[in-house]
Amino acid sequence: MSATATLAYPRPGMDDWVDALRADGPERDRAVASLHDLLLRAARFEIGRRRAALSHVRGEELDDIAVQAADDALVAVLAKLDDYRGASRFTTWAYKFALLEAGVRLRRRAWQDREVVLDAERWPGFADEGPSAEHQAEQAEMLRALRHAVETALTPHQRQVFAALALNEVPIDVLAERLDTTRGALYKTLHDARTKLRKELAAAGFARPGDG
Amino acid sequence: MENDRAHIDRLLGPTGPQVGCDECFELLDEYVDLELSGADADALVPGMRAHLEGCPACREEHESLRALAGES
Repeated sequence: MSATATLAYPRPGMDDWVDALRADGPERDRAVASLHDLLLRAARFEIGRRRAALSHVRGEELDDIAVQAADDALVAVLAKLDDYRGASRFTTWAYKFALLEAGVRLRRRAWQDREVVLDAERWPGFADEGPSAEHQAEQAEMLRALRHAVETALTPHQRQVFAALALNEVPIDVLAERLDTTRGALYKTLHDARTKLRKELAAAGFARPGDG
Repeated sequence: MENDRAHIDRLLGPTGPQVGCDECFELLDEYVDLELSGADADALVPGMRAHLEGCPACREEHESLRALAGES
């Protein structure tokens, strides 16, 4: 369905959408259907942006992912309708739920058959990295200090999360699923680990601009 | 290829105060519409820019929402 058709009902604007979604009977049914179309458009938009990285996934499967994302986003939007404060356009507010649902599914699909490395001994592009020229000597020393700080200053959980997210670039939603936790909890752990590491590096004489 | 300093900066993430992932999601629509309106979104939603620099997943969602909302 085209965007024009999707937005034909309710008319754009906070009160129209919210009022229609809170109405009874056929008016609400039409509003919910229009909202689902809007969310499906957003989910397909997200898939389109990531299609290059998902070339190995069949089109039918991607469309199933879009529909599932739109379905779950619809439930979330309706459940959180009272939280909408009008700080943005209603469509922008609603889109973000579909983009989140689609993005999480696509990241997990892309890593479905990949190993999630939590082992602190396996840091590709880091553990074996050394100076390639003399002028890099200080930065190579900083890398060694960082590796030492990772090994000595972090808790085992912080070290696992830092290794997976920062060193191995595992998507945070993939790690959250494997560790049965949330994106927010993992990012908090990563943030705490980075704060510790910056302090350790500063104590070793490697302060960066903005480090406090 | 990324040099050592850029590598280290990326590993250590942004400095300064930043929101978490949950707060980022709560504020993302407002932040994007402020950006699209030409307002100073970083001043009006403090801590958001630093979080987007440090969290690839939230950054991807910001980029997508900005692109999609910008079409409307």
